[in-house]
Amino acid sequence: MTAAARGGPAAGRPAGTLLPTTVIGSYAVPEWLGQLKNDYCQRRISKSYLDEIHEMAIKAAILDQERAGIDIVSDGELRRDNDIDYLLARIPGVEIPQRAKADYFDYYEAEVAHPLPEPADLGLGLGLAGDFRFTRQLTDMPVKVSITGPFSLSRRIRNTAYADPADLVRALARLLNAEAAELARAGARLLQVDEPFLAGYPEDIALAVEAINIVTDVPGVHWTLHVCYGNRYARPLWAGHYDFLFPAVQDTTVDQLALEFARKGDEDLRLLEKYQWDRGLGLGVIDVKTDQVESPAQVATRIRRALRFVPPEMLSVNPDCGLRHVRPEAARAKLSAMVAGAAEVRAELAGHR
Amino acid sequence: MRIDVRPVSRLRGQDPIDLLGALTPVIEALQASDADLSKVRIVCDWVQYRASFRAAADYRPVLAAGWRAGPDQGDPAWLPDDGLPAAETAFELAVDLRRAGPDLGALVTRLLAEHAAPASSAQLPLEPWGPGSASCIWRFNTLYWQALSFWEQATGREYERALPGGESAARDSGAVRELILELFKIWDDLDARGALPAELYVVELGVGNGSQARTWLDEFVTLSGMHSRDYYRRLHYLMGDYSPHVLGRASKAVAHHGDRVNALVVDATRPAVSLGFLRGKSFLVYISNVYDNLPGDEVASIGGRSYQVEVRAFLPGKDARRIARRFAAPVRRLPDLVDKLLRLGPELLCEALPQHFGDPGRAVAFWREIWSALRLQERYVPLEGLDLYQIGPDLTGAALRSQLESGGDIRMHVNNGALNSFADTLPLLHPFGRLLCHDLFVTDIRDYGSGFYGPGKYDGSVVNWVNGPLLRHVGSRAGFDVRISPFAQRPAANVKTLTAVVRE
Repeated sequence: MTAAARGGPAAGRPAGTLLPTTVIGSYAVPEWLGQLKNDYCQRRISKSYLDEIHEMAIKAAILDQERAGIDIVSDGELRRDNDIDYLLARIPGVEIPQRAKADYFDYYEAEVAHPLPEPADLGLGLGLAGDFRFTRQLTDMPVKVSITGPFSLSRRIRNTAYADPADLVRALARLLNAEAAELARAGARLLQVDEPFLAGYPEDIALAVEAINIVTDVPGVHWTLHVCYGNRYARPLWAGHYDFLFPAVQDTTVDQLALEFARKGDEDLRLLEKYQWDRGLGLGVIDVKTDQVESPAQVATRIRRALRFVPPEMLSVNPDCGLRHVRPEAARAKLSAMVAGAAEVRAELAGHR
Repeated sequence: MRIDVRPVSRLRGQDPIDLLGALTPVIEALQASDADLSKVRIVCDWVQYRASFRAAADYRPVLAAGWRAGPDQGDPAWLPDDGLPAAETAFELAVDLRRAGPDLGALVTRLLAEHAAPASSAQLPLEPWGPGSASCIWRFNTLYWQALSFWEQATGREYERALPGGESAARDSGAVRELILELFKIWDDLDARGALPAELYVVELGVGNGSQARTWLDEFVTLSGMHSRDYYRRLHYLMGDYSPHVLGRASKAVAHHGDRVNALVVDATRPAVSLGFLRGKSFLVYISNVYDNLPGDEVASIGGRSYQVEVRAFLPGKDARRIARRFAAPVRRLPDLVDKLLRLGPELLCEALPQHFGDPGRAVAFWREIWSALRLQERYVPLEGLDLYQIGPDLTGAALRSQLESGGDIRMHVNNGALNSFADTLPLLHPFGRLLCHDLFVTDIRDYGSGFYGPGKYDGSVVNWVNGPLLRHVGSRAGFDVRISPFAQRPAANVKTLTAVVRE
């Protein structure tokens, strides 16, 4: 049973919007912001100063998305050093012996030496609900929040606590589920699990699916699962195809898959047909590993190709992954092109009805 | 007054520098001058190159923020508004302790006098002031590689013989074998996952005489034959160099590998322009003795402020007069003749100006004389924000910040060409690929405080050590682990090995 079937929004989109446009999560980090984050890492500025900077940057990121015409926005994940540390550093029981970093984007060396506490033992949660509340008050648009998945988090932890590494993944999943429930209580309806490391460990897909289902067991939420081939430093970390997702991913309870196609090409779209994926698809139409801006026509072409495999009612349009490594001016232009391309196809579809 | 002695390791040992003996005449010359002694920095180096762009002593002004260029080819003028300080906030006397001798005092006296009255200088500038990477010394360097055969003919020796040790990076078959077997392991793993590409690309940038490629490919054939999968059949070895002459020679060395090898003219500073089709596909990029030979700037932090080192190539007056006489040209025409030489090369120069250069040999003689006499003036120009300093198309001076702020005064290489080349090459690597580079690397930023690392002259080319920590920083920000280790075959050599691999 999918989350939507349990009462979540039918397709995770603003009412009546065909081919809604959204982002995967992270937004362009300007060089100066990276520098300020480093200044904080080296204790040149205080935490409260950095918090204010982040809040200003988030306001700007939301404004950029709104002006580009994005239908479902995010806070740009601008508070997060990278896709892993923001959560790892907040999970009780995850030890990070060395918190000083030369560069904010570096990963912490994290360790779990004792079994993680169960959610019931937690106090105020991991803080994502507070982030959501801040974003919610800034915009009238639907807001999406992404959570790095338990499998990927576990890959950055040295585990000496669990004899079976799968138990660490499950324990992380339970904590993330509690955070998702907290987000739902705060009013979040569009949540996403990101598994950026999964493509590197295709043999673990069954475990990842099991853990994702633990995380997403929250009523009233539309869930997206985002799987890409890595976007660290704007480079793919892995090579291959999405074959490994199927058929296992059919067993997830997510409402939508968000996958990258712009960089890799649309060869893997056939998998959706082959395995009769009958839920939503977040179609990656923007290559986030280059500053070269796509034209609206390119975007429209990519959407039209996807429509051969996915009905329009099930299709959302997004970049391949987060825009973190794209220069701000390129990020703005790419989002605008994406919105224009989607509008072009939307108009065509309207004409045929 | 500050005195900065860099080659401290030479102050002890069997043949220590006579520091006081070297500095005394400099101090005396300063005492006898009208210079504001509170603004003086004496910087002592040990310039190890037999030929360099420096004299035994040089005068380097440190310009103030807001300075503006005067009409005399960019010489600093006073700041525009009355009451503001002079354009020059301090000056540096750069002393080469290796050449310090009894004449040093007189030289410093002359430098101070020339600076006080620039019109009295007999130096002949060959270009306007500008960043080091824009200096004509790099055009000379390009000419050397493009017209190498003419130079070699004139000197009677191949360029590899001009390198220290007589050859570029060693070609040790043991190391090559080890590297190839590592590649086989990666390919076996990818094959097991069904992710092995049909074409297996290896790139070499800066191909020398082709012996590296030959050793590598010969070993590859042997090892591939012993392996269950015949990877040689899928291999494409691309040789890239910006000298067609060098490429032609290298191609002959690997001719027996037929169509497994291709040669391409590649701009080493923007390899992706020619090799962009290999983005994400190269399993190995091998680079040897290229980075130290690419244009670069220098930057400095002096008293907590960041400066760019601007340079201007010139000929000392005596040399200019001698060369002009020999080639029957007025001294004032020499800059134009040099420019023509750099644009046309020796062969076309003698066709264009037979009255000065009767045959290519004579044009080469002109080239060599100019090159031998050529020196660089330097000055420190304030950087008005590191982010505004463009290191390359995709890299700003913000990348320099941590190094410039590493503590105290520092002057260091930016190696714009090498950085651009490196940053442009990394995207060519397959997620399981690696970049391997043999070159002259400064391995610790603090080394700049205790040694001189160029630019110098090697035969007809420029040699400039590479700021290894800066490459490491840029590589790290692009998601690569960058390591610099001793050159395995000659651990005591100045040449080091840089390895870059994708990090998770």
